[in-house]
Amino acid sequence: MTDPIVIIDQLRVGFGDTIAVKDVSFSINPGETVCVVGESGSGKSVTSLSIMRLVEFGGGAILNGRLLLNREGGVLDLAQADTPTMRSIRGNEIGMIFQEPMTSLNPVFTIERQMTDGLRLHLGLTGAAARARALELLRDVRIPEPEQRLKQYPHELSGGMRQRVVIAIAMACRPSLLIADEPTTALDVTIQAEILALINRLKQETGMAVMFITHDMAVVAQIADRVVVMYRGEVVETGAVTDIFANPQHEYTRALLAAVPRLGEMHGKAAPEPMRLVGQNHAPKPILARETPTPLLEVAHLTTRFPVRGGPLRRHIANVHAVEDVSFTLNKGETLSLVGESGCGKSSCGRSILRLVNPASGSIKLDGVDVLAQSKSALRQMRRDMQMIFQDPFASLNPYMRLEAQVTEPMRNFGMADASDRAAMLFDRVELPRSYMRRFPHELSGGQRQRIAIARALSVSPKLIIADEAVSALDVSVQAQVLNLMMELQADLNLSFLFISHDMAVVERVSHHVAVMYLGRIVEIGPRAAIFDTPQHAYTKALLKAVPIADPAKRNLLGDLNFKPIPSPVHPRSYVPEASTYETVAQGHLVLR
Amino acid sequence: MSYILNRLLSVALTLALISMITFVVTNILPGDVAMVIMGTQSNPEALAGLRENLGLNDPLIMQYGRWVGGMLTGDWGKSLVFKEAIGPLIAQKFVASGLIVVMSMTIALVCAIPLGVWAAVHQNKWQDNAASTTSLLGVSLPDFFWGIMLILLFARYLEWFPSSGFVHPADDFLGAVRHAFLPSLALGLGLMAHLTRMTRSTMTGILNQEFVRVARAKGLSERTVVWRYSLANAIGPVITVAGLQVGYLFGSIIVVESLFNFTGMGWLTYQALLNRDIPLIQSTVFVIAAVVMLTNLLVDLLYVVIDPRIRLN
Amino acid sequence: MAKLFTLKGIVGGSIVLLVLAIALFAPLVIPESYATQMDMRARLSGPTATHIFGTDQLGRDLFYRVTLGAQTSIMIAGTAVLISLVIGLPLGVISGYFGGWIDNVLMRLVDTLLAFPALLLALTISAVLGPNLTNTIIAIGIAFTPFLARIIRGEALRVAQMPYVEAARAAGTNDAAMILRHILPNIMPPIIVQATISLAFAILAEAGLSFLGLGTQPPDASWGLMIQASRDYLDIAPWTALVPGGAVAITVLGLNMFGDVLRDVLDPRAS
Repeated sequence: MTDPIVIIDQLRVGFGDTIAVKDVSFSINPGETVCVVGESGSGKSVTSLSIMRLVEFGGGAILNGRLLLNREGGVLDLAQADTPTMRSIRGNEIGMIFQEPMTSLNPVFTIERQMTDGLRLHLGLTGAAARARALELLRDVRIPEPEQRLKQYPHELSGGMRQRVVIAIAMACRPSLLIADEPTTALDVTIQAEILALINRLKQETGMAVMFITHDMAVVAQIADRVVVMYRGEVVETGAVTDIFANPQHEYTRALLAAVPRLGEMHGKAAPEPMRLVGQNHAPKPILARETPTPLLEVAHLTTRFPVRGGPLRRHIANVHAVEDVSFTLNKGETLSLVGESGCGKSSCGRSILRLVNPASGSIKLDGVDVLAQSKSALRQMRRDMQMIFQDPFASLNPYMRLEAQVTEPMRNFGMADASDRAAMLFDRVELPRSYMRRFPHELSGGQRQRIAIARALSVSPKLIIADEAVSALDVSVQAQVLNLMMELQADLNLSFLFISHDMAVVERVSHHVAVMYLGRIVEIGPRAAIFDTPQHAYTKALLKAVPIADPAKRNLLGDLNFKPIPSPVHPRSYVPEASTYETVAQGHLVLR
Repeated sequence: MSYILNRLLSVALTLALISMITFVVTNILPGDVAMVIMGTQSNPEALAGLRENLGLNDPLIMQYGRWVGGMLTGDWGKSLVFKEAIGPLIAQKFVASGLIVVMSMTIALVCAIPLGVWAAVHQNKWQDNAASTTSLLGVSLPDFFWGIMLILLFARYLEWFPSSGFVHPADDFLGAVRHAFLPSLALGLGLMAHLTRMTRSTMTGILNQEFVRVARAKGLSERTVVWRYSLANAIGPVITVAGLQVGYLFGSIIVVESLFNFTGMGWLTYQALLNRDIPLIQSTVFVIAAVVMLTNLLVDLLYVVIDPRIRLN
Repeated sequence: MAKLFTLKGIVGGSIVLLVLAIALFAPLVIPESYATQMDMRARLSGPTATHIFGTDQLGRDLFYRVTLGAQTSIMIAGTAVLISLVIGLPLGVISGYFGGWIDNVLMRLVDTLLAFPALLLALTISAVLGPNLTNTIIAIGIAFTPFLARIIRGEALRVAQMPYVEAARAAGTNDAAMILRHILPNIMPPIIVQATISLAFAILAEAGLSFLGLGTQPPDASWGLMIQASRDYLDIAPWTALVPGGAVAITVLGLNMFGDVLRDVLDPRAS
């Protein structure tokens, strides 16, 4: 039994008067991946920063505990190590990668410069030798055209490529431990799959240990050997990944696992239903579709383009083809999801339907009324019937307006009577105390703010609600509660949702029908079961393959793939795109040719 | 190529606008050139005759056209106060102002950048507080107050520097610097204070960014992280702000040059304003605004060179 | 809120309150004659028991002059900033919120005006209109407008792009309601900060203009005018410059400190 590479013993870290990490202990063995999982405020990041002694730079202090690193010369307590020792360890024996690939690299230095300064520092390599090693590292992380990349600047690389460079930098001196702090959270799911596979392969090739911090239980199921669950600065449970998933002991772990939507668990169920969360005794009620589906929203050949302006006179030189020839129908009382990765046009689609941006062509009919033909004042009246819930719970509420006023604003706009009474009822409906009506947004948590947004959307009794990544910015447990709320409201009030998301597992849970988008077009659309059980289009299949499943028994970590980079949606003004033509695979199930 | 052409077009347009604004502002005068030449007590008939001669009865647009036409052909008119051609007058005085603007900018940048970085590195500790307080003091005191203090201390009391006058660098370089030093310092102190604050806030913003953390995680020394990695990102914004401050400087030189009797553009403009020398006012104000605009343009172009993100677009 | 009570906040706030109090109440308490009474025997004398700040070249007590001068200087600066806000706020909000060609045209104009150094613009306007108290106010007010308008436009643009504005639009809010309910309340904090700092600059501007003789004229007693009058006596009576200059410096310092702290409280992302 090999000794652990790192033993964390009773670590206690504080920032000023707040204790962020309390008596945390666990160990990491060589060759294994330990996932430290928790929601925001759990202290998982602070723990990793403490190992690297970077926490002091953010105003933190290690108050107690030992951080034992097993190295060649013996065992070293990193908590007591002096700065020169720490500097020789950082980027050398311990490598670290962070969450945001967009900002992890210095914007004004070339890739080569940023890769070689670590090599120069720790291995004494200079000039051609350093450059050769840098190329070798880039090849290890499977970056296409590595010679080109060296000369480039970070902003010329995509997010996924930047993350590969960051990994290459961390691996440069063959560390015995790699700390990865949410490295895939900001990436698309296909890129995430590649990065996870990459880290796994590097681990197997070099025998290093990996400490992987994440909030995503599905990722944990896919890559972890052991799991450390953290909550509010403390470790609540540790164990092998199979044990944790099959037999969670601590109630927080159980609640967390119950809140994670698992890809595949809706298999065989006819209709979406709320999640069964810890503490709920009644069985969840499925939201059945109506016997005779009545169309509510009919979108035909919708096209939206955004102008690209260039040159000093800001002339219109090209177009971003955000939405290209999109057609679908949403029935009353149902949920249609638009799913895809970033830049596929799903948000623009939602905005176009509401006419928050103006489509270039196409038709949008809400309950038979042509939305695009309405004059400005008629459109304003129509807004009663279609409302939106936005992604960012912080930014979608006016910081200077009381919550009651925010919920009553739509009602006041249309001169509805009894706005205050209705607002109080809505607060009850979204399970917020009436005393909150006098409060301001900054006094509420993210999940509570999203409930206000839901209350605001419901206030005018709309026929259609567009939820644009409405739960993406929330913690997993909060996300589950908000999703359940939305589904319960749908059942009670017969609401119709256009649900926009990038999260396949969530989409599987809430949808009656699913439309998969890619580069502005719908590539596949159909009933949820059809899309998830029998996907037809290559992109849908790739997407489903890349989604991590929250079940360690179903590992689908791919070998190194290289998903082709998404081509640019920007075309010159003269470009004429072809129309979308579909092939009917089954009843209601269409695939783009 | 078309980018440069477009830029030049933009510049020409702005210069035209500047000339229009200058003309409008200076010609809402109740009195006029004729009165200034002959005095307010003069014979009304003679006044009328002079007005006719000078074309002051023509519509404003014509007068404007004449002025611009003159400028384009090199005839900038004659100063009523100095009785000389304005063109060479301005050219001459410009050298003087150019000297102190360059000197004050240099002094300011050389001191402000290290000070600002130092304050940012020691954020919220005594070093930061000391630097921030002194720079706050620096921006709060008017330039002419600094000027008066400097005159009292260095010119009258210590007698290290002269308190007035201008010497052309071509004639006597050392003397020129000696005479320009106190005015440059008076201008530069306020500027230095402002740039220190700017540098500090830019640096603190950068030091909070992820790539700084990544650099530290690589094991780089704090000195490298601050002075190479971070400063490289701060230089751009700081230089930009400094460049934009040139506009502010050209306003302050009016006061400072008058205080030091330093015969540059500021002093010239002041004389023009004081004596209602309309042709001179028009020309000096126009030149100053044009120079400021061109400096801003230069700073824009410089930024393209400094920041690779903009360069490759 | 606690951020308001840092050392900087307390010192800055106290200075501002003190100066405001002096500006408001001193003229009610101190008879004007104290400041205008000339005593040629005591002229240009340093600080003594009877004249705590000394006297100027006409034997007038500097302490009373500088105290009463506070009202003039503050009033000029305050009114000037008010003028620039009254012009700049609608301009900036319309430009930033509506965008499009209005924004292009207005900002073109504002940018061109910004090529003229504010002090130069103020001096020119004042010289052209004829220097006196009212024209000084107008000159400084107009000179500061482009800068303020640009800042306000930037803030209005930023707020107009926030999701809550889009949410309000989706909820059927019209433009007028949008500006009143959402845009204005959210741009107020940075504008308050900017106004405080502009006040400081306006005091400096008035001092500069009067120092050059193109601002307030005798018998109006402003601080700038006092500094100007002291120019010839710097060698023998430096306090004649130090007293009004110190008053300007302390007031501006207080405003800058207070403005800084206000920025920390109201507009944290900017600091």
